Amino acid sequence: MNRHTWVTAPVAALAVTAMLAACSTDNKAADGGAVYTTISGTNPITAGAPMNPFNASGNYFLGYNTMQLGFDKLNPADPNDFFPGLAKSWTATPTSLTVQLQDKAKWSDGSDVTPDDVKTSLAIALTQGSATVGAGFLTQGLDVGAVKTVDAHTVEIDQAVGGKNINFTRLVLKQTIVPTKVYGSLVPADIWDTIAASQGSDATAAQAAIDKLNATGKTISAFAPQTDVSAGPFVLTRVNPGSAVLDRNKYFYDLPKISPKQVVLRHYSGNEQIWGYMKNGELDSAPYTSIPTNVLDEILKAGNKRVDSLHYVNAAIAFNESVAPYDKTAVRQALAYVIDRKAVTKVGEPVGGTASTHLTGMIEQATANWLTPDQVNALNPYEPDTAKAETLLKGVGFTKNGDQWMLPDGKPWTITLQTVNGFSDWIAASTVIANELTSFGIPTKPALTADFATYKTEMAAGKYAVGFWLTALGPQASAAYQRLYGADNGFSMRGATVAHVSGKGSGNWQNTPETYTVGGNTVKVGELTAQLSALAPADQKPIIQQLAIATNQELPVIPIWDYTSVQFTNDKRFTNFPQQGQDALLNNPPGVWMMQGYVQGKQ
Amino acid sequence: MKGFLRRLLMKLIAGLVMVWVVATFTFVLVHSLPGNPGDIEYDRLIMQGTPPEIAQAKAAVVAGFTSHEPLLQQYFGYLGQLLHGNLGVSISYSGVPVADVIASAAPWTVLPVLSGLVVSFIIGVAGGVIAAVKRSTRWGGLLTLSGSLMAGIPSFVLALLLAFLFHTLWQILPYGDTSDVTLTPGFNGPYIGSVITHAVLPVSTYALLTYGGWLLTMKSSVVSVLGDDFILAAELRGISPVTRMRYIARNAILPLFTVLAISVGYMFGGSVLIEDIFDYPGLGNLLLHSIGRRDYPLMGGAFLLITVAIILANILAELLYSVIDPRVRRA
Repeated sequence: MNRHTWVTAPVAALAVTAMLAACSTDNKAADGGAVYTTISGTNPITAGAPMNPFNASGNYFLGYNTMQLGFDKLNPADPNDFFPGLAKSWTATPTSLTVQLQDKAKWSDGSDVTPDDVKTSLAIALTQGSATVGAGFLTQGLDVGAVKTVDAHTVEIDQAVGGKNINFTRLVLKQTIVPTKVYGSLVPADIWDTIAASQGSDATAAQAAIDKLNATGKTISAFAPQTDVSAGPFVLTRVNPGSAVLDRNKYFYDLPKISPKQVVLRHYSGNEQIWGYMKNGELDSAPYTSIPTNVLDEILKAGNKRVDSLHYVNAAIAFNESVAPYDKTAVRQALAYVIDRKAVTKVGEPVGGTASTHLTGMIEQATANWLTPDQVNALNPYEPDTAKAETLLKGVGFTKNGDQWMLPDGKPWTITLQTVNGFSDWIAASTVIANELTSFGIPTKPALTADFATYKTEMAAGKYAVGFWLTALGPQASAAYQRLYGADNGFSMRGATVAHVSGKGSGNWQNTPETYTVGGNTVKVGELTAQLSALAPADQKPIIQQLAIATNQELPVIPIWDYTSVQFTNDKRFTNFPQQGQDALLNNPPGVWMMQGYVQGKQ
Repeated sequence: MKGFLRRLLMKLIAGLVMVWVVATFTFVLVHSLPGNPGDIEYDRLIMQGTPPEIAQAKAAVVAGFTSHEPLLQQYFGYLGQLLHGNLGVSISYSGVPVADVIASAAPWTVLPVLSGLVVSFIIGVAGGVIAAVKRSTRWGGLLTLSGSLMAGIPSFVLALLLAFLFHTLWQILPYGDTSDVTLTPGFNGPYIGSVITHAVLPVSTYALLTYGGWLLTMKSSVVSVLGDDFILAAELRGISPVTRMRYIARNAILPLFTVLAISVGYMFGGSVLIEDIFDYPGLGNLLLHSIGRRDYPLMGGAFLLITVAIILANILAELLYSVIDPRVRRA
């Protein structure tokens, strides 16, 4: 190689690179206007995973190319309140559900969506662990016994014999519907016989059938379809290791409502990436992330609009009541009086948090929904009041030595407040709580666990006396109370009765008493929680009221803040996004917004 | 030739023993981590708002891919699989073979790591020679200073700085993927251009991080060779400066080849942090995913691959050294 070549070779390589990069930019611009760019908050793109909704890391995108019969409105008063999906309408009886499919429902290859697809999909759902759910949990499983074709667009789904699952409609409507032509070959011909055997009274035969279903389920979840066959508004064209592109499905049953020609979903591995994309104005909408105030300002400055909606999650301080002095109600109440929840929320979750006010184990809106105004007013709000805290502590034998509180046995009382690495809101909040408790005379230090998996394991092993925890999960009160009075508290179903276990290896790390005494009455928290999942909302009310009042009195956890789902939309390329107040829509992915006629391209 | 083959055989046997030791160590290590895949899946789904009964069902499927055999039995099963070249199936990918998952991520680590290493090696070595030859000039001093500075910057600081400057502030380089997903993959200009532009940030980080080390090592090596008698003799014999420089470079570069081969392995390990910051979907990000989900087979596979890369690089370095330096060959 001569001297000139030494010089010209790298220059030429750089020039080619620049030219190629320029070509790539031009190509991107050509499709610009109609491309909707967002992030799937619940299902990040996973490099190398199959396009399979039954795979735990699968690259499938609900509301875009993955369809259900309906989409949950998360209505706490009516668990069966759904937006239509592949089901145009449905009629429920106590033991069955009859679904009318969308008249024009087609797969992206042009073939019809049929009752047989629903039957295949529900059989698959029963191989995906559903058959084993119900055993031991305070909830009921899918319980589908039979699926019958009524006509070309109507399908009847029956509960298993003797089934009285009040969540049957909700559970069926939430199942993913896949094409028989793609998944049918993976489903054994005798699967409904196996399902029937799994639900039979012969325990040995039932277990053998469940094992067989689970084996089929494993094969299905590992399956990698070559191409996407979608009945949704979009069909998956390509999955990169870090993004996915979906094209509009020309066979979608309500095509005129779908404005974007293409959807690009970006990958994220942390909140910072989502913030970065928003600051650059690259996203048309962004899912909820926990966000600090300074970042919020930058995101808004970049032209993004904030849209808040209800989020059924609460951050709380949880106790292991097998560790003294947290077994004493007065101690937990005293701590609730010392912690200024508004001040903590202002630091921990200033953008997406609202300080808890009524401490019932549910988020505030759910409390207002289930309790009467008189009951709400009668709840103890535990406003910051150190004098009340002192009285409570002295009442159970605590003393003060100078500024330091001493336990009833005379030893100094200190607290280690456990949080998790990466949970920035909990970490910030723990610092404020530690300062407040230390000022009150209980030296408190925050401590970090390496990751959530370790945290959960160590918490279950009873290693932490006081730590952060998520409570009030989900719109249904049964789910919220299972978080407090479920498996983590040693309650499980044994046949038709609720059993309670405690001690090492039991998984019971909360260790509350099995019953509380409230207003002279005994409240069996585990039993009441188990009853909730089998009752219609109207019948749940008196039970929820008992549980809420008991929780407010006993404080198995101290709720700190309710999360708010802070999402962002950007109207640079699209308009007509759902607005604040449309919680039912906002709690669903943008693909569902589009199916309802929202999100129109700017001309 | 016979001696070379014998040396190669011995190295390979030693390498295999090392792979067994590391495979055993990583097996014990990953299974000692607290947490289990089923519980993690349940919590992940619950936090996303999935109803408990559906979360329980999905978690049960994930748990179904977890072995419940005694650990010793699992270990021997794992070794048996390894002997057949089988890394097992991934838990978090619901039964997809680990080898397939790793194969889909590996190119996106190999490409930037090797590119970064080659770029930094060439620039660092050239800079080191200049810094040594011109060590008493201002340029020599500046080059040495730049090497010291770059060698001292922590990788995450440099990566964050480059991401902020080129992606957030000036918005001239993309991150978060391997290419523009709207382009058709293949041997076409736009796609190749997009792959290159998406790799610029991680490659630059790898290159800048290691450039200082090459420069300083090369400078020190050249300075040492410059004082050797054979260089003085060559000068006295009137041999041209270009030929003398070839003598110097050939002798000075020897120690760097060993370091170069070893660096390949270590940069695979270092990819975890850099890929995480740039959200670049290679082996580093895969390893983080597998740890977060307690996917034992995937963790083991990824660790093993990185280890094998380091061991192979070491073997290659030693063999290369004997090829380049006749004194080693004779010894």
